[in-house]
Amino acid sequence: MSDRSLASRRSLGSRIMNPKYIMIYATIGIFLVMYLFGAISYGAQGFTTLRTITNLFVDNAYYGISAVGMTMVLITGGIDLSVGAVASLTGMFIAYGTTVLGIHPLLCILFSLVVGVGLGLLMGWVIHRLNVPPFITTLTGMFLARGVCALISRESIEIKHEMIDSLASWKIYFMQLKDGEWVKIKPISYINFNVILFIVVLIAGIYILQKTRFGRNVYAVGGNEQSAKLMGLPVGKTKILVYGFNGLCSVLAGVAYALYVKSGWNLSLMGAELDVITCAVIGGTLLTGGVGYMVGTLFGVLLKSMIPALITFNGNLLSWWGKIATGLLLLLFICIQKLVLGVTGRKKTSKTKPIKE
Amino acid sequence: MKKKFDLTAITKSKLTWAVVAEVLILLVCLIVRPDFFKISYQESTGMLYGSLIDIINRSSEITIIAMGMTLVIALGGTDLSVGALVAVSGAIALKFLRWDVLEYTTPGDYTVCSYALVLIVPLVVCLLMGLFNGLLIAKGGMQPIIATLILMVCGRGIAQILTNGKQFTTGYSPFRVIGQGSFLYLPMPIIITVVVVAAVALFVRKTAFGTFVESVGINRSASRLSGINAQLIIFIVFALTGFLSGISGLIYSSRIMSNDSNNAGLNYEMDAILAVVIGGTSMTGGKFSLAGTVLGSIIIRTIVTLVYYFGIASEATMAFKAMIIAVVIVLQSEPVRNYFSKRAKKRAYAVKGGVI
Repeated sequence: MSDRSLASRRSLGSRIMNPKYIMIYATIGIFLVMYLFGAISYGAQGFTTLRTITNLFVDNAYYGISAVGMTMVLITGGIDLSVGAVASLTGMFIAYGTTVLGIHPLLCILFSLVVGVGLGLLMGWVIHRLNVPPFITTLTGMFLARGVCALISRESIEIKHEMIDSLASWKIYFMQLKDGEWVKIKPISYINFNVILFIVVLIAGIYILQKTRFGRNVYAVGGNEQSAKLMGLPVGKTKILVYGFNGLCSVLAGVAYALYVKSGWNLSLMGAELDVITCAVIGGTLLTGGVGYMVGTLFGVLLKSMIPALITFNGNLLSWWGKIATGLLLLLFICIQKLVLGVTGRKKTSKTKPIKE
Repeated sequence: MKKKFDLTAITKSKLTWAVVAEVLILLVCLIVRPDFFKISYQESTGMLYGSLIDIINRSSEITIIAMGMTLVIALGGTDLSVGALVAVSGAIALKFLRWDVLEYTTPGDYTVCSYALVLIVPLVVCLLMGLFNGLLIAKGGMQPIIATLILMVCGRGIAQILTNGKQFTTGYSPFRVIGQGSFLYLPMPIIITVVVVAAVALFVRKTAFGTFVESVGINRSASRLSGINAQLIIFIVFALTGFLSGISGLIYSSRIMSNDSNNAGLNYEMDAILAVVIGGTSMTGGKFSLAGTVLGSIIIRTIVTLVYYFGIASEATMAFKAMIIAVVIVLQSEPVRNYFSKRAKKRAYAVKGGVI
């Protein structure tokens, strides 16, 4: 209680300028710089239109959904390599279930949720109770999910179902008032079901992380597991639930991806887990745990998806430069993190030194 | 005095379960294919043939990388970039073999640059990339997993840009020897692997280097205070891993006589890490076992071979790999090992007639 009253007493300015938000500002800043660069270089090709922004969301909603869960896992100091495979498995379930077996897609999604969340909880349990490193546990989970994908089918299966079709083609167009009549903005920009799903998951993630006891436990476990245990926090429950939540996010990402490509393929989303981790790291989440914000992750996703957008607008560059640019971006952000942490870390030590001595 | 048969030490050892797993898998192989252990000599190639030889042959890329990975994990880190470096190494080798595509349009038994360059440049580039990883980790103080993620993301892009996104093929026979040739009746990759394993083992066990690595892995600041140059150790280990990935990349591209920047070394980092962990080296760093890693790599390949025998799709092998690895990892985990060693102790007491 005292913490909350203290926070409200602080002025808005000092709350915004809190050094713990520096990484988010860096992410947003670089995003704006890249947007400006795009606007200046490719403004004539229509880079500055609303469509560029909405397309960033539409084309990368599944990354975003997965990144929300990943951020939470990374904050506990863990890692989850199974997200891409679980999302791919969800796509396979939906495709095989609806097209081959003729099951209603909602049942397929429900089944995927049970499998995905179950696998997540199981991995969390193995990590916590058996003390197996998260990297190895989730790597095994990844192999398992990919293998099951291939057991279901090795060929791409098209999803044919009215509900999936109508969900995939459902769009909200941005309108403007022209001569007293509402018309679609040109070039046509829209958001679809995936974007709304992403925003819902993101808001849920922010709420859970910032406003619930569970969310505070996540930070505490990531900050220092030993201290969290000594404080009497439910470390095991928190860790297991975080992996369960990430399983949920992976399945939702899989649903979004299935709606996006309208097919299931056992090799889809290969390596997506590392892209998602990259998004979270660019967004200011530390892999050592205890630090990270969902808003940072949102901008991490936007920033990472801005690179292919810029390459498409350029038109002459090989798409491979995108990978190199992503790697360089990652390097840049880790350097910034190191600098920021170095500065704030030094301040802390200089403050605490007299007490120690 | 007769040496006592110590059950506790055996159940406590992580290697035990790896050996048990390998023996069990081999037994299943034997049941599925009665001629599994048969090894025959084929005169036309001068090579021995057989499932066992094939398993060891095919595991050599992972084994070579896993040697470096063992040291990286013993330091308490992970190297995610090895798979990308395999692609880079292959791309450079093929680039040098087929430099001018316009002039030499058909792949044949020729090399454009000298063969020495074809072999040395990829290895040097991979070494430098390993050094880059080491620089970020040792000097920049970054987490290994993040620092190597950079090259993992970049690496395949670099490989594609080096070859302009093209896939070259070659027919140069000295290059074919690396992956498909033979020496002393054995496939060349096995010979290379044996040489690499022996060299690394000699380097870490006959000098103090291995002890230094374990020391840095257990407690970096303590080992720094006791006079070990931790930064230098990290540098050497990551550079070595890069170099070994380069060798592995040459073997891979020589097997297919081509460069495949998308698929070369795909998931090798994962397989190498698994091999190390199955071999009993802890992800938290510290003590490591090179013999265990070799065994781990062979186990992974044996699983794959076994699944082939059942006639299951190659992509589906991952599921079986996952299950067997899960069993090995659970058995190796601390609580389970403690449980078994406690039981073994109890039994030992009971045999002696002691009070529990």
